[in-house]
Amino acid sequence: MHDLLDDYAHANALRNVSARLKLAIGLSSILLSVSSSTPEAPLFVAASLSLATILLAKIPARIYLQLLLLPLSFAGLSAAVVAFMHGGGDVLLALPIPGYPLTIREDGGLLALLLIARTLGGMCSLFFLSLTTPMIEIFAIFKSLHMPQSVIELSMMIYRYIFVFLDQAAMIHSAQVMRLGDAGIKNRLHSFAMLCGVLFLRSWEQGERLIVAMYARCYDGKLEVMGLEGEASPRQQAAAAAYLAAALAVAGLAEGWGGQL
Amino acid sequence: MTAILECRDLSYNYGDGTAALEGVDLALEAGRKVALVGPNGAGKSTLMLMFNGILEPTRGEVLFRGRPLGYDRRSLREIRRAVGMVFQNSDDQLFAPSVYQDVAFGPANLGYAAEKVKRYAGFALQYVGLSGYDRRPPHHLSGGEKKRVAIAGILAMEPEVMILDEPTSNLDPASSEEIMEMLDELNCGGKTMIISTHDVDLAYRWADDVVLMKDGRVAGRGSGPEVFSNADLVREARLKPPLVVEVYQQLKARELVDGSRPPAGVLELCRLLEQRWAGPTACTGKTGRISILAVDEGEPGDAEVQAALAEARADYTGAMGSSAKILAQEVGIAPDFTYGVIDKCILKALAGKSSLILTSGGMVQHTQKRIGEYCRDAGVEISVVRLFCIPPSSPAHPALSGHQKP
Repeated sequence: MHDLLDDYAHANALRNVSARLKLAIGLSSILLSVSSSTPEAPLFVAASLSLATILLAKIPARIYLQLLLLPLSFAGLSAAVVAFMHGGGDVLLALPIPGYPLTIREDGGLLALLLIARTLGGMCSLFFLSLTTPMIEIFAIFKSLHMPQSVIELSMMIYRYIFVFLDQAAMIHSAQVMRLGDAGIKNRLHSFAMLCGVLFLRSWEQGERLIVAMYARCYDGKLEVMGLEGEASPRQQAAAAAYLAAALAVAGLAEGWGGQL
Repeated sequence: MTAILECRDLSYNYGDGTAALEGVDLALEAGRKVALVGPNGAGKSTLMLMFNGILEPTRGEVLFRGRPLGYDRRSLREIRRAVGMVFQNSDDQLFAPSVYQDVAFGPANLGYAAEKVKRYAGFALQYVGLSGYDRRPPHHLSGGEKKRVAIAGILAMEPEVMILDEPTSNLDPASSEEIMEMLDELNCGGKTMIISTHDVDLAYRWADDVVLMKDGRVAGRGSGPEVFSNADLVREARLKPPLVVEVYQQLKARELVDGSRPPAGVLELCRLLEQRWAGPTACTGKTGRISILAVDEGEPGDAEVQAALAEARADYTGAMGSSAKILAQEVGIAPDFTYGVIDKCILKALAGKSSLILTSGGMVQHTQKRIGEYCRDAGVEISVVRLFCIPPSSPAHPALSGHQKP
């Protein structure tokens, strides 16, 4: 019914690789992407992690591209604005609009490119993580990092019930569409408001049933967290280290060129 | 017989004063299979929620093993461990993000050591046939699998009584039968089972005791044939008679069968018909043989099961219980019967066909007893053969040895 990231996270070729290693790769790639002041390193991260996601984890390329399209369209819009707003440097492009000339200058163009590169690098890192690593593994890492127990328990239950309410929302939506609840913008708004209201009430009731279910099984403040599964082999560790070193080198070299220019 | 759960003058009012239960007196015996039947709003679920102290009665009391339930924290923990409850909607019950975490929830909260929690949860998952599902999230499971996980979560707390609210609602027929068969197996292991259901055929076939509820009261109580042969009672409770009872009543009205009360199932109905139409000799022709192989003794593999099939000269195979079904799948045989196995094998034996029943060691005695009882009641002879696996380490011996039960 749904094409969910979560389904891929549970069935991909990298599912059984140590979650700690995947988290380390994903998080450091995100940090590197957003902190880089040149577009080369984020683009390198985006390219290599996209290849890893599609070739190693065997996520269908079509699905992957569709996923990337959404954040990229946002990034594209903001980049366009940024490109026109920032002045300085040679004129790269001028739109001859009478009375209001729009120009892209070098600085603005570079900034727009950097913005897109950072978004792409960050999103590819995030997708790499979320398409290969099931949430329960991430909870296990949270635990090993000594996150507060209450935060972990809350996130686990939120995660569990997202899917229950997703199903309910889909059913309510179908019930509305079947009776033409989506005909016209007014109807659509009204239906959506009703869906939200009903879902809120249902989640409230579900919460009450949850408490009963927990006390029926002697709840005493304990919800086990799964142990971590799978150690990273030396080869995997070496490969991850090599990748990160390469990304850092690209970043360093790019900064160096930037400095010389 | 001692009552394991008892209600005395039990009443419960909702917040707005509507009565859900009014003066229920009921004593349930240990080790029985009990079905609560009745229309919507009859108070079945309310009564069930009182059995493990989730609702506190407005008037009257609930007794567990003769002692009134206390509603302080310690007594409640005690009763909720001993009386486990499986909710109608599995999504209400499965709140952990993975199967193992959910099953381990009860033992962990009972304060067991980590190793013990692991052992109990592992055992429960194996029992319901879901070993290896540990890390799956509940939203990736089918309805039947979710129900199994819910049952495992209760089983891991080792309850004496298991209460299941509408255990087969929203399940396909095969899953329902498998769940009901698992409940049978648990009952053979000594647990008292209480279910609520609208499915009269299910209640009739499965339960030792049927409790018919109506408007917050117990309207009828007894064995399935006793309760459901009272047509007025059944109609007033907005139920319908089970199919077997209906067929029997129609046949009886036409004097096609004898007997004083409805048969317990298809098997009994066939017997009544045979007795009436061909005399008791009809069944004394050559009956088929029933062989039994315990799948958890001596680790039978492909070779052993094939040898068992040959040894049993079986026309039909039946797999009873999740371990047997898993083995059948592993060795690539499709069992002819996966539910109601014993009765179906007896019916085949009466028709002169032989069958092999794969089941767990704990069910062998029950199977032999059930066939023995039938033979005694019906005055027929069906030979029951217990097959044993010889460990593969001694290749000089045949893979199996049979021994005849008189």
